[in-house]
Amino acid sequence: MASLELKNIVKRYKSQTVLDNLSLTVADGETLVLFGPSGAGKTVLLRLVAGVIDPDEGKIFIGGDDMTDVDAEFRGVGMAFQNFALFPHMSAFDNIATPLEAKRSSQGAIKAGVESVAKLLKIAHVLSHKPRALSNGQKQRTALARALVGSPPLLLLDDPLRNVDAKLRFEMRLELPRLLADRGATVVYVTQDYKEAMALGDRIAVMSQGVIRQLGTPEQIYREPANIEIARLFGDPTINLLDVKPARDTRGIYVGLSNVQVHLAGAYETAVGRDCVIGLRPEALSFVEEGIPGAIPVTVEAETPLNEKIVTLVRTVRGREILVSRPAGTLGRSEGKAHIAVDGKSALLFDHASGDRIGSKNVVALRNGEAA
Amino acid sequence: MSLSALTISGVDKFYGPIDRGVHAVKNLTMEIGKGEIVALLGSSGCGKTSTLRMIAGFEEVSRGAISVGGRQVHTLPPVKRNVAMAFEGYSLYPPLTVRENMAFALKAARLPKSEVDAKVASIAKLLEIEDILERYPSSISGGQQQRASLGRALIREADLHLLDEPMGQLEPQLRAVLRGRIKHFIKERGLTAILVTHDQTEANALADRIAVMEGGVLQQFDTPERIKERPANLFTGTFVGEPPMNVFEAYVATAAGRINLKLPDGLSLDYDKDAFSAPVRDQLLSRERVVIGIRPYAVRRSREGVPARVSANQWLGDQTHIAADFAGGSLVLVEHDRTRLDLGAPINVSIDPKNLHVFDQASGKAISHGMELA
Repeated sequence: MASLELKNIVKRYKSQTVLDNLSLTVADGETLVLFGPSGAGKTVLLRLVAGVIDPDEGKIFIGGDDMTDVDAEFRGVGMAFQNFALFPHMSAFDNIATPLEAKRSSQGAIKAGVESVAKLLKIAHVLSHKPRALSNGQKQRTALARALVGSPPLLLLDDPLRNVDAKLRFEMRLELPRLLADRGATVVYVTQDYKEAMALGDRIAVMSQGVIRQLGTPEQIYREPANIEIARLFGDPTINLLDVKPARDTRGIYVGLSNVQVHLAGAYETAVGRDCVIGLRPEALSFVEEGIPGAIPVTVEAETPLNEKIVTLVRTVRGREILVSRPAGTLGRSEGKAHIAVDGKSALLFDHASGDRIGSKNVVALRNGEAA
Repeated sequence: MSLSALTISGVDKFYGPIDRGVHAVKNLTMEIGKGEIVALLGSSGCGKTSTLRMIAGFEEVSRGAISVGGRQVHTLPPVKRNVAMAFEGYSLYPPLTVRENMAFALKAARLPKSEVDAKVASIAKLLEIEDILERYPSSISGGQQQRASLGRALIREADLHLLDEPMGQLEPQLRAVLRGRIKHFIKERGLTAILVTHDQTEANALADRIAVMEGGVLQQFDTPERIKERPANLFTGTFVGEPPMNVFEAYVATAAGRINLKLPDGLSLDYDKDAFSAPVRDQLLSRERVVIGIRPYAVRRSREGVPARVSANQWLGDQTHIAADFAGGSLVLVEHDRTRLDLGAPINVSIDPKNLHVFDQASGKAISHGMELA
């Protein structure tokens, strides 16, 4: 049982501030994902929590206890890294056993502990192998097993799937939630992959330049991103961004896209007459017949299938590029002239100058067929 | 596409002595039409890069022949093959700026300066490298070098464009739009392009046809659609597609006019005999054991059906990936809407025989796809 609380953490390297007055609370049993580009400060934050480095200012509480000045080995933290960091001269078994050896567990307890976690991670058959005889996937599972074996109340995982191939990454992404839930651990998980962040995080902290830019559930981050930069980081294909200047008529607030008026649902009064950017997720656009109200004429440039989706690059009459995506097997257009329609409820609006999202609340349109 | 742009006939590649060295490419025969985009797809060591390098002329052909546009080229030096390339080991010229690198071949072909400038400008815009045109290769990032190298290849007129992992290093936010633009560019000009990639996503996005390679052997050469719907064997079936195809071993049993595909854990997929076409039914009934494959999007949740238990439910914004404990293994489902299912929740799944792929248990070769024999 361990919550984690960081209070006003500052970390500097020489003249550079890598964490700038950062505060964050992770609830007991929660998985919090730290997401951001390299250099955002994610790994430094993990190392501070682990006790490998010390903050210049601020406090770290684990399970309510002030751990700021406590040595790493007494913090009850398990850690796994992207480069695996296995001891090359030791077998997978001995690597996994190191946290238990350090705790001076009995030989019987060590054997039972290692074998049980190895079985869960499907590496029981390679426990006698040295790291060089393991595949990348097995190395990564060995590193995870080592982090899990002592059942640490707080688990720090630094991009553990970064160096494994796409298929394994996918498989592990589906397996990890249960592994973590079974242990009841509080988890801080670092990644640069938005799918991993959305799939694994109860909440996601989006970081850049040593600051948390947005903290929220995957749904909040995806549907109500704080700014354009965050909107661009989540979603594949990337969100379409088009310059617009919202106006008002009797039906409400609208934007002009290729001389077609697209009405928006949302609290956008403050946006009227301002330079804005509209954000349209590719899946919020669809091909429609000509003559349907709001249909925007486009030319299809290319169709590029993507994992059970079909992505189409189209160009508007004004030369703007738009990506449209739809489930594979549904009707679309693969060439020539076509028309697309915008789901005005899921459009996002941003201030052009600051990049911040406009509108206090965003209407979250739940799609049809949302199963109970 | 009646005209052949590239013909590879019975090509072998040995590293070391013929018939005794490492056999990297085995008796490869392929024909690529003019204007086609073809992807050579496989994991490292599958022979795809050796093949590309033999086409380019960077590797000798141990046995067999390669023709470009009807002209045998495999004994010619690279410069005589009229092939444009973007790949590792064929890097940008360090003393030239990005602009000079891209313009080099056009200047050598004595194109007027105004035309060269216009072409460079248009490709630079397409690849979003306009702001680094005056920079030298050493001062730009790996991803930018990759785009510049791609630009240098695409700008040329050539019988063939060879692209080695052309987009591996691109930032993810640019990937989808650049794929669309590059495909449009190649198609609009009628270029013939061969790209090598280990990334099945890239191959599916760009290629008209995909050549799946493994162990130096061409496994299947077909459209992305057909590879998805009619994989030639288990390797192709599980290599192409994300999430990967679900695969289970099954015993075939019959009782009272029904066919049961018996899975581990006492589970069984039961079908009326008439649910299968006669040839597929005959094939199934002639075997004791088979391997069945089901694409994740073809697994349906239903009231009836076989019980499974949710082990993961991951919403990615525009898709939901669900994993369930099933028949001693894991079954993956893809749904396009957001699905609310808790971990541990019981579900029932059904698999339409139309969506069932059957493979030979020993060889992995496909037996049937839905109602049709492989």
